[in-house]
Amino acid sequence: MKIRKLLFVTKFEELCYDALNSLLALRGAALDHVIFLNVIERDKVAMKRGSGYLKEEEVKLKETANIRFIDWAENLFELGMEVGAYIEVSSLIPEILKVVGKETPDLIVIGRSHKGTLEQLYAGSDVMELVRRTDVPVLVFKHMMEDNIVPEKLFERPLFATNWSETGIKTIEYIKGMKEIIGELHVMHVVKDTALKSQDTHEVQKVRKAERKRLDDLCDELEDAGINARPHVYVGDPQKEIEKAAKEYQASMIILGSSDKAAILERWMGSISKNIADNAIFPCLLIPGDKKL
Amino acid sequence: MSKKVLVVDDDQDVRSFVVTVLEENQYIPLVAQDGIEGLETIQKEKPDLVILDVLMPRGSGIRLYRKLKTDDELSKIPVIMFTGIALRSFLKSQKVLDEFGGGEIPKPDIYLEKPVEPEELVQAIEKKLG
Repeated sequence: MKIRKLLFVTKFEELCYDALNSLLALRGAALDHVIFLNVIERDKVAMKRGSGYLKEEEVKLKETANIRFIDWAENLFELGMEVGAYIEVSSLIPEILKVVGKETPDLIVIGRSHKGTLEQLYAGSDVMELVRRTDVPVLVFKHMMEDNIVPEKLFERPLFATNWSETGIKTIEYIKGMKEIIGELHVMHVVKDTALKSQDTHEVQKVRKAERKRLDDLCDELEDAGINARPHVYVGDPQKEIEKAAKEYQASMIILGSSDKAAILERWMGSISKNIADNAIFPCLLIPGDKKL
Repeated sequence: MSKKVLVVDDDQDVRSFVVTVLEENQYIPLVAQDGIEGLETIQKEKPDLVILDVLMPRGSGIRLYRKLKTDDELSKIPVIMFTGIALRSFLKSQKVLDEFGGGEIPKPDIYLEKPVEPEELVQAIEKKLG
């Protein structure tokens, strides 16, 4: 699966041109079309007692967004890319879904605010709600350092954490679509503590060996597709271990599949992907499972 | 007989502005709000002139302009670009697309950078339609 069209959702505070610029590496894969979306929160222009609907504020916010988008679009047009833009007063997730319906992007990029609860419109539960309601992969973009430095080489060293769920195949195909731009892919599986309850060292090693074999096979498949891949088995709490591995291998992003079934049955992606998307300092690419209509 | 002028722009305020200018000057206004709708309307209505925005959803004016100028039948329709995107960026993008998209296409007849006064727009339209 190729990433040809990208939907870039921004409110300009947490996701700006530097972030977009780091995503332009995807041009090396297939990217040639970027759609900008700015959703103006309703409460910013909502009718208030004594003041009515703040039309002037809406115009101001729309024009401010338009000026930014024009500037960004000019840069992209000059690269020969196709660009579109939406500026809407609406609710975030419904508006994203609406634009996804119109534009059918291959990737949604959304920022994560580090601000307070009221400001976290784009974070946490919104991201997971989006993942639950769309088939399109979602990249939760983050500034990896406190000084807001954007990771320049986002696809240099991604870490793919697999739980062997049914979305795995879709995720692997998606990763293969990025083969031209991935430097080295780290593939990991976390064996939960509960799977190692046996007192027998031999049994514990057998579990590790079996998981390692599966990872080796997966890495062989990825290498056949032209991706340099390295397998890792970790043991413990999946969320902690994924973050640990990301730090150890200086991952440029974390890639996670997200299946509804797994979320319900195992509380794997439902909770872990949310927690990692919320808390990890790494950008997270969440690949939703196919939605059954 | 009044001439048909199509305005392709995603901004409703801009469409209203252009439609008002057109009506006041006895042209028949047609409207489309994105690149795809714009192309469909052009193919169906064969307007005498197209006033075209660049940055729009569902197909930019840059790609629509190229489609028009590389179509035997539609290439004769004059186009006024009417946009916030600078001419310099428009021309650069066309140059890149010329290189990779095959073949050079003519520059737009008239390029107006928003905002413009009604008189300037009327003047541009009259220049193309007489």
